[in-house]
Amino acid sequence: MSTGSPPLDGGLGGRLPAWLRPRELELGGSGRTRLIESTLLALVGLLLAIATVNDVVLQTHVNHRLVADLRTWRSYTGHDYKNLSVEQDLYGHTTRDVVCGNVTPGAPKERVQICLAITGPVAHGRRAAHGGWYLPPKVEDLRRYRYGCYGSTKDGRLCPQ
Amino acid sequence: MSVAAQSVRGQAGVRSERWAPALAGLLALLLLAATAEIVLDGAVGHSPLVPKSPEIAGWLQGVGERLGFRVFLIAVLVFTAAYAGLLALARRTETRVLSKRSAIVLIGALHLVVFAGPILLSTDVFSYIAYARMGVEHGLNPYLNGPSSIAGDPVYTYVGHDWRHVATAYGPFYTLLSYPLAPLGVTGAVWAMKLEALLASAGTLALTWRCARARQLDPVWAILVVGANPLYVIYALGGAHNDLVMLLAMMGAVSLTLARPSSRGREGAAAAVIVAGALVKATVAALLPFMIVSRRRLAPIVGALAALGVGAVIGYAAFGVHGIDVVAALNRDAAFVSTDSFANEIAHLFGKPGVFPIDHDLLKAGLVVIVLHLLWRTWRGYDWIAASGWTLLAISVTSTWLLAWYILWPLPLAVLTRDRRLLVATFAIQGLFILHQITPLLAPVS
Repeated sequence: MSTGSPPLDGGLGGRLPAWLRPRELELGGSGRTRLIESTLLALVGLLLAIATVNDVVLQTHVNHRLVADLRTWRSYTGHDYKNLSVEQDLYGHTTRDVVCGNVTPGAPKERVQICLAITGPVAHGRRAAHGGWYLPPKVEDLRRYRYGCYGSTKDGRLCPQ
Repeated sequence: MSVAAQSVRGQAGVRSERWAPALAGLLALLLLAATAEIVLDGAVGHSPLVPKSPEIAGWLQGVGERLGFRVFLIAVLVFTAAYAGLLALARRTETRVLSKRSAIVLIGALHLVVFAGPILLSTDVFSYIAYARMGVEHGLNPYLNGPSSIAGDPVYTYVGHDWRHVATAYGPFYTLLSYPLAPLGVTGAVWAMKLEALLASAGTLALTWRCARARQLDPVWAILVVGANPLYVIYALGGAHNDLVMLLAMMGAVSLTLARPSSRGREGAAAAVIVAGALVKATVAALLPFMIVSRRRLAPIVGALAALGVGAVIGYAAFGVHGIDVVAALNRDAAFVSTDSFANEIAHLFGKPGVFPIDHDLLKAGLVVIVLHLLWRTWRGYDWIAASGWTLLAISVTSTWLLAWYILWPLPLAVLTRDRRLLVATFAIQGLFILHQITPLLAPVS
């Protein structure tokens, strides 16, 4: 197969030896090359399709978990706040996520925050909170700021002793 | 096959031929409706899909509702399905389902609807304006400073957070092209950028038409594939991206090489136009080696060198040595990683949290192998336009920083080559990109 543009007469092409001149037709043997190319293309396409679907499934699971985490925090605290900060383990090494939000109404992170460490499967749209901690206003959720730890987090590496 | 069977099949064919234009009309209406939905809802503002922007589409408010992920994704999927249906119909039926006039009216209408609306999905246009204002209004070199150096300028508030400290990665021709827009004020410059994108798109489509005719391909099909593409209309045109200016230069160069009778002057000019395009956005330079290897004449080499010399002098005079250091800008951008890049998806597939530095090197090595193979094929007579298209597709697939408008680069070339694999592969990559966006539809977060 060839769809190559026809070369011009004369010019550099005209003075070149025959094997170097531009070609009107693709050289023979391109059928086998094409078969190899098509096979490789199909394999690469398959890999990309699998990777894309895997990523969509992964993100969908993460979103499901996120929705359950937000519901769980609202249900435990009794506050229907929208602006909660969530730290998720996105790549499935664990199922533990941490959701933090203000204990009293105010702008995000402007009040004392309560954080819940949430684990386990989603049941009835919620997951289980096995512990948590408090944070002072205007700080990020770093170990050194955590206090008042409760539940399973008291024994772990999550809170300062 | 029996006479009776032939007769039944013939009748069915006649019926489907009769229905085809009506179905095509319906699909065209769906394209328009999906676009209008996005634009009218986007005009309401306060949407995560519409960047913070001056009030340019306020006159469209009151019709739509705030654009959320769900409506946007449904509209994109409807648009994509209608586009696929329209192309299938235009390809398979004997009679033309969309006349030349209908196709142009449809594409024109899609363009005008998007032009009338807000900036969609990207803050890039505000970076373009910020770089122009840095040079014109503040006397700063946009190749040395990021928009943060003009934090008091009215455009600064609209520049994306990730780009506030980043100097421009675009070529000196594009920066100079944007300079006359700086004194128009932010709102005026946004409209001018939108107009520039619209005109560049119209030029690209006109040249695609011309090239398709030169190659004895169906020009109506060709402009439908490009001009009604969902990523082209909603993402590239909606965001007024300068990729459209780059595509205009690319198609200008291709058109010059396909013009008959061929001449050294045209070939030299084609190579010069590619270099000019690369001084807008460097990616288009990928066409040059294939053109040179295919032609094996001095004219393209001379044309490219002459344009490079002129461009270097202009770039240096305007911006100093940093204005012509394209390699540094490319290296910087090559290190970025976007969540939609295939490299990132493959990393997730293998249980990694993302792309590692070694992956960047592997991807670059893979790209080099692909380009060398395509150069070898071109040397043996393979179509240089197809080889260029494959290279642009390979660049976008191996890039760790993949955005919707990058997957458009090979599309105008794919419709001009008889190697249908390129078009199929481009569509497949675009389809996977769209598929990757749909998570909020499957699991909405409230």
